[in-house]
Amino acid sequence: MLTFDQLTKQRGSRTILDGITFQARPGRVTGFLGPNGAGKSSTLRILLGLDRATSGTALVDGQPFASLRDPLRKVGAVLDGSGAHRSRTGRAHLRWVARSAGIGNARVEEVLGTVGILDAAGKKVSTYSLGMGRRLGLAAALLADPEALVLDEPVNGLDPEGIRWIRLFLREQASSGRTVLLSSHLMGELAETVDDVVVIRQGRIVADGTLAEVTGSHRNLEDAFFSLTGDRGAR
Amino acid sequence: MRALRAELSKLVSLPASWLAAAVGVVVSAAVTVLSAGSSTPGPDTGFSSLALGVAGAIVIGVVAMSSEYAVEGEESAGGRQITTTLTAVPSRLRVLLAKALAVAMATAALAVVAIAVTFGLTALLLGDRAPVLDADAIVRMGGMALYWVLVALLAFALTVLTRNGVVPMAVLIANFSAVPVTFLLTRVADLANWLPDVAGMRMWSRGLDTSVEIAPVLGGAVMAAWVAVLLVIASVTFTRRDA
Repeated sequence: MLTFDQLTKQRGSRTILDGITFQARPGRVTGFLGPNGAGKSSTLRILLGLDRATSGTALVDGQPFASLRDPLRKVGAVLDGSGAHRSRTGRAHLRWVARSAGIGNARVEEVLGTVGILDAAGKKVSTYSLGMGRRLGLAAALLADPEALVLDEPVNGLDPEGIRWIRLFLREQASSGRTVLLSSHLMGELAETVDDVVVIRQGRIVADGTLAEVTGSHRNLEDAFFSLTGDRGAR
Repeated sequence: MRALRAELSKLVSLPASWLAAAVGVVVSAAVTVLSAGSSTPGPDTGFSSLALGVAGAIVIGVVAMSSEYAVEGEESAGGRQITTTLTAVPSRLRVLLAKALAVAMATAALAVVAIAVTFGLTALLLGDRAPVLDADAIVRMGGMALYWVLVALLAFALTVLTRNGVVPMAVLIANFSAVPVTFLLTRVADLANWLPDVAGMRMWSRGLDTSVEIAPVLGGAVMAAWVAVLLVIASVTFTRRDA
């Protein structure tokens, strides 16, 4: 269970996040939706202890992420694409992450297979496509078989095949009991994937509920989103 | 311990650290060969080559940290590694400590190789004019290895502050080779003798022409103190700022 409670973040005089409160539950895919710059990444970064909140809390099973004894076994995160240096091979990247959690190299080969990049494991990350980078990031997140997955814009920049793969993958993860929290500014791509929806706009939560609740009387999630965020899709 | 193993694994699998190792050994060896043909052996023969080979230590210290922040364009698969590092090991102090230890261990190993190659070459090229490897020379070699480690940690601490390798790399390599600003400063101000690199040189040099006499042990202690202070500043900054 991932719990955000009255999270506020100020940068200078600007309020980035204002009273963010919601939960992501086990066995469900929670979609954290909002336009670019609404505060999605900041919220996830605070959860993972990368950024500091001005006030409020973001907890993993009631504990701050930074105080977890075995963080990789609690939360697997993909925030910055692959999160891998370009001049290392995919395999070398996963091996150092594995070292940090006392995990052996056999598991590295296993997750390379799970995300389908075993063939490219010996190549440098700089030669990977965006989609392969995402898969590498996911592989690192899965190394310690975590209870929760946190993904920032997992489908951004992926081709249709990659998007479909991620969708099916995340549904599988949730049905095996994991908590899945993903952020996105792409509504259409996600309606079929998420169980719960949290909508953020300019640092505030404007909707929080099941997919059906948030969609409400609108034709679909996309319409509901644009009506909630005050954006008529004129872009 | 796990964090240290992860950091060692990172250093070993990063091509830039092998480049650093090559720089350290090749520069030391090349300068040794060149000066064997042109200058008469003095008290610092061999040691003065290693003083330039220390560029390899600078590169290790810089890339260990700058690689965490390296990014490519939007369309590329490479990403900021620091997010992966800090989600794997959330304690920033532990990350920095593990990194500093890994840098120190890698640099010490590199220094040993560079010293062996350099003095192997002096013996080969200079024959009986080569510096005698007595107890004092061995102590000075230890001083040189420590000097390399401290220079690497200095570069590392500065890169933690800048989060980018370009400036620390350029400034340090220039200062330790072509434009020894700190050393030239000793010509105009006695106080400059207490700067980290100039003070640390006392650990291995016996032919230093400077304005203030500093004993080798004191020189090493002064340099270590500088590095310790910089590491503390780096830790405070690293633990407080947003990643």
